[in-house]
Amino acid sequence: MTPALRELEALFPRGLLRQPGELVAYESDALTAFRARPLAVVLPESHEEVAAAVRWCQKHRIPYVARGSGTSLSGGSLPVEGGLVIGLNRMNKLLRLDPKERIAVVQPGFINLQVSLAAAPYSLYYAPDPSSQPVSTIGGNLAFNSGGAHCLKYGMTSNHVLGARVVLPDGETALLGSESLEGIGPDWLGLFVGSEGLLGIATEVTLRLLPRPEAYHTVLAAYDTLEKAGEAVAAVVASGLLPGAMEIMDSLAIEAAEAAVGAGYPREARALLIVELEGETPQVEAEARHLERVIRDSGAYEVRVAQSEAERMKIWKGRKAAFSAVGRLSPDYIVQDGVVPRSKLGQALAEIERLSERYGLRVANVFHAGDGNLHPLILYNGRVAGELERAEELAGEILKLCVALGGSITGEHGVGMEKRAYMPVMFTPADLEAMRRIRRAIDPLELANRGKMFPGSEAKPLSHGPHPLEKAGVIARE
Amino acid sequence: MQHRIDPEKIGPQGEVMAHAIEACVHCGFCLPACPTYQVLGEEMDSPRGRIFLMKEVLEGNLSLEEAQPYIDKCLGCLGCVTACPSGVPYGELITSFRAYSEPKRWRSPFQKVFRLGLQETLPYPARFRAAAVLGRLARPLKPLLPPALRAPLELLPEALPPTKPLPALTPAEGPRRSRVALLAGCAQQVLQPGFNWATLRVLARNGVEVVVPQNQVCCGALALHTGERARALHLARKNLEAFAGDYDTILTNAAGCGSGLKEYPLLFRGEPEQDQAQRLAEKVKDISVFLVELGLKEVPPLPHPLRVAYHDACHLAHAQGVRNEPRQLLRSIPGVELVEIPEGELCCGSAGTYNLEQPHIAAALGERKARNILATGAQAVVTGNIGCFAQIEAHLKKLGRPIPVLHTIELLDRAYTGQAPVPAAPADP
Amino acid sequence: MSSLRPTHPKEVQEAVRSHPRLLPRGGGSKPALSTPRERQVALELIGLSGVLEYNPGEYVVVARAGTPLSELEALLKAHGQYLPFDPPFARQGATLGGTVAAGLSGPMRNRYGGVRDFILGVEFVDGLGNLVRGGGKVVKNAAGFDLPKLMVGSLGRLGVLTELAFKVFPYPKATATLEVAFPNLGEALEALYRLAASPIELYALDLVPPSRLVLRLGGLPEALSPRLERLERFLNQQGERLQGEAEEAYWEGVNDLGRLGEGYLVKVALTPRRIPTLEARLGAAPRRYMSAGHLLYLAWNEPLEALDEALRAEGLPGLVLRGVVANPRIGLNLEGPFGLKVTAALDPQGRFERYAAPN
Ligand SMILES: Cc1cc2nc3c(=O)[nH]c(=O)nc-3n(C[C@H](O)[C@H](O)[C@H](O)COP(=O)(O)OP(=O)(O)OC[C@H]3O[C@@H](n4cnc5c(N)ncnc54)[C@H](O)[C@@H]3O)c2cc1C
Ligand code: SF4
Ligand code: SF4
Repeated sequence: MTPALRELEALFPRGLLRQPGELVAYESDALTAFRARPLAVVLPESHEEVAAAVRWCQKHRIPYVARGSGTSLSGGSLPVEGGLVIGLNRMNKLLRLDPKERIAVVQPGFINLQVSLAAAPYSLYYAPDPSSQPVSTIGGNLAFNSGGAHCLKYGMTSNHVLGARVVLPDGETALLGSESLEGIGPDWLGLFVGSEGLLGIATEVTLRLLPRPEAYHTVLAAYDTLEKAGEAVAAVVASGLLPGAMEIMDSLAIEAAEAAVGAGYPREARALLIVELEGETPQVEAEARHLERVIRDSGAYEVRVAQSEAERMKIWKGRKAAFSAVGRLSPDYIVQDGVVPRSKLGQALAEIERLSERYGLRVANVFHAGDGNLHPLILYNGRVAGELERAEELAGEILKLCVALGGSITGEHGVGMEKRAYMPVMFTPADLEAMRRIRRAIDPLELANRGKMFPGSEAKPLSHGPHPLEKAGVIARE
Repeated sequence: MQHRIDPEKIGPQGEVMAHAIEACVHCGFCLPACPTYQVLGEEMDSPRGRIFLMKEVLEGNLSLEEAQPYIDKCLGCLGCVTACPSGVPYGELITSFRAYSEPKRWRSPFQKVFRLGLQETLPYPARFRAAAVLGRLARPLKPLLPPALRAPLELLPEALPPTKPLPALTPAEGPRRSRVALLAGCAQQVLQPGFNWATLRVLARNGVEVVVPQNQVCCGALALHTGERARALHLARKNLEAFAGDYDTILTNAAGCGSGLKEYPLLFRGEPEQDQAQRLAEKVKDISVFLVELGLKEVPPLPHPLRVAYHDACHLAHAQGVRNEPRQLLRSIPGVELVEIPEGELCCGSAGTYNLEQPHIAAALGERKARNILATGAQAVVTGNIGCFAQIEAHLKKLGRPIPVLHTIELLDRAYTGQAPVPAAPADP
Repeated sequence: MSSLRPTHPKEVQEAVRSHPRLLPRGGGSKPALSTPRERQVALELIGLSGVLEYNPGEYVVVARAGTPLSELEALLKAHGQYLPFDPPFARQGATLGGTVAAGLSGPMRNRYGGVRDFILGVEFVDGLGNLVRGGGKVVKNAAGFDLPKLMVGSLGRLGVLTELAFKVFPYPKATATLEVAFPNLGEALEALYRLAASPIELYALDLVPPSRLVLRLGGLPEALSPRLERLERFLNQQGERLQGEAEEAYWEGVNDLGRLGEGYLVKVALTPRRIPTLEARLGAAPRRYMSAGHLLYLAWNEPLEALDEALRAEGLPGLVLRGVVANPRIGLNLEGPFGLKVTAALDPQGRFERYAAPN
């Protein structure tokens, strides 16, 4: 063991993992197309231990990556080869819940869903609801500014994080934000949230809680074409209603969700639209009447309204399980996360269908229609030679399509390792240079999550043959 | 997940394992459901991590020794199977992997003797009884023993109830509505023979004739889940014979045994008895499912109201998907107020011989379960598995709050026979 | 004092490159922030004006930074939409850029959030004269650093804003306001807490000292009166109702913060917990707490040092919007090395006013 590692061992007598059998398990996040073996994993249990780990990295110039539950879909928590993984899942305490001020202070490894569970006795909840909410951590959500089905009205993680205590890459501690919804001076916290672990590690996060809506009205509408469902969304928007969520699933996604959780969706539908109204009872009741008319005129052939909380949960369960459920239809898949202007949804979907045919790969679509946030799931079989490459190429085409339509390469899953090569499609060299300057000002050695978000000289689109890192044996695609 | 496992090299279970690994998309939804991940907080002790490890071993990228400690810590509780949206048959994977790896692994002489001891006693009621008596005698020596031997002593009851062989046939009371065969379970016969007697009484009362095939043996689940495939096959063959009679239903009242019988098709894959095993597995039913399907005869009310927490045994809830039926039975007893246990889907840490092999994790989980049960303010806990029964009883006692633990069928029996369900005790504040 | 008046982002770039010290200025509605100091050249952005993209079906609007709020709001109103963060000084000539740089929101922020919650994209000229874009023009985007949020409250210190994209929402089809008086501050605050934790959705939840709450409801007209009744039942007391034009006019009046009173005009960010002790320090200064006690605007006629001290004692940061001051930032300093480093990265040569954070 090198002296540096002995030092690390002294710092983490009971939270250091070094054996191959231990490290293997940390080689990937939820994007298994990338794998890298870290030098070691540490599992700190306090702010001070995180700071100690970061200072150790600084001293020995070892790159590192923070890890929550490792559910990133873009390679965000993929280890840096030979670097340190700082696993935060043991820092999973609720530090303070103040129902009167409506805030919760949690450690970064606290699980998203647990926040709402802890707040439930006070009729409060934590609004951002990524589908991964039963497993993903607040730290990971913060780093990726995660969103969910209910983001149209109340925004993403960034809109619900009030403050954070962070360990900066030099090992110093910074407090960003406060407990107030308002601020004075530049919104440093706003910059930190969504910075994908490049600007530091959050060790304590102050979250805003919202009162649980008095009433929900959840409508499930079945269509015989995807276009009709898309047009229904446009009609809802045009009517002046502002639903809490509008989600669409296509037939492949319906099939997968049904197989996984038996949500009772109409199986033969070509598209399902979920619209959820929420708010004060009299208001929701009045809105529901307007919505009913809009949906009726939209050509839905079957419309169901959840009659109880249990029915509502069932509708959502299917939707939220849809990603992993696609694992039932195909051994492998890639999820994309592009955004298009809502008015271009139909065009984007038609184009994706054409691409799917051209590449001979099935694409399932589940998406946050209200936000124009697409989640095409490209199904492939990695055991068939060349399919992975075709799938990646198709994924790249979809990203370019989103940008060409005036959208973004990612709505909520982040750039991570996966999409960094597409950053120049969306940003000019000057844009990227400004972001890089910020990064280097905070982390001159670029140790924090090195190799992510920014296109590197080595970065090429995945579709262009083996990745250079792969050729060099640094990463492997399994 | 892609893999390069070559089923040819690995044998008949290779395809099973390859399929399971392929189905895993590494999404992590299983992490919160995994008791070892909850206790240890390390990825290699999670379902997703273990799948990765097994894949690496099978592909030849990782030595078995490197992976073994984490595979060993798996309780086989199948909490991950319930949580997994991708339908990964983790149970088949871990069982097959254990069978694959057991012959290849190194074990210390102590471990070997200890394991052999377990395998040679637990499945045989007479031997187990003798060992348990010895164990009770050994209690004063506890502090001197290695930890692996301390845990089992704690779980032994103060006194072993007397045994009386079960009748080969119990006739139905009144018109016969059904006829079934009962698997008596091995550890249960020694530790809690009352479960079986209660079962016979409740069934008879409900017009069911019960046959207890006298040549039946342990279901073999214990051996199967610890990688002793040959031993498991040997036992299972005897049961195929014992239960070959003309029964529509084979009843189990121990969750572990029920899921054990249902695993026969996996065990016999590639064996000549494959079809026979399949037919047997299809007839197996947990007592609770059977009674709900049959329709219970009216249950008289309890003498006083009782707040009951129902604990889902992993091998009922996760392995057999049986969650509603036991609750339905309990709700049909007038006077029962049913409460749900927080983190109810998490294993209590008993899991077969796990208690004996991983005492620290088992103890952490046992305590967590006991605390969660007490948090409900229940006056009694009900469960459908002997292992859970012993574990929960021991940990409630350790916390100094020994509320009564009952088998579902026991509570039903007491209601039918008009006994007080539990000794009258002041309700929990 | 000279001033420049670019009409194109390129001219902004040139201006930045050729002047060592600049102070961007929009409509001049917040003079404490836009009056050039020694050796600073004023960069008038009012010429960089106009809506660039607006499709009501997208809930997105893109406009040049010098666009007056009033112009944009008129356009949105014509399509039944609005800026949900309710920026102040609309009729006093405030521009989009100035609103973002000052980080100002108004009473209706209570419903959906403040300016930071609705900004989607920015284009700005950094201290090196580079034109930089961050964020996007769609309602959801997670690519790259969130530069749009960073610019909120940046006071021109990180760059000169040239273009902005916002998320917009449908304006409620009908609104109504209820004013409720309480016997004392304690009871008013108690009601404020109860309301804020309740599922009652208020567009505005203002506390007007000493003990009045002003509540604004919005939504479908048919549901409004039952909701008003429910609201009164919830409060266990009747209030004074305002509806129709009078109501609109009332909130327009509030929007012009200048009408609060003479003297310095100051924004304070806080939580309702601070209100009782803060109230004891603020004397007769005219003031209004907005968004359930998270935002305070006040007019101050005493020496600024006294307010600075009061805020420090409460651990609160403040920003002077009107009045002649050397440094508009008063009260608690919430800044550390993180901010200094980011500032240096975007403006390495120190062309922009840094407003050394109060010490
Ligand atoms: C089935 C499935 C469904 C999903 N659905 C959604 C969805 O609906 N919406 C959505 O937005 N995402 C979704 N995701 C993606 C993923 O769950 C989110 O990105 C989530 O926020 C990651 O959380 P994590 O705890 O797993 O973080 P990790 O994957 O462990 O880490 C994510 C990133 O955060 C960084 N990080 C972690 N903790 C910290 C910290 N304390 N401080 C600083 N940086 C940190 C890591 O370095 C990494 O870059 C889904 C993923 C899966 C597998
Ligand atoms: S939930 Fe299923 S698919 Fe997801 S990681 Fe766990 S085992 Fe794999
Ligand atoms: S069977 Fe239980 S212990 Fe084993 S991996 Fe699954 S959840 Fe974890």
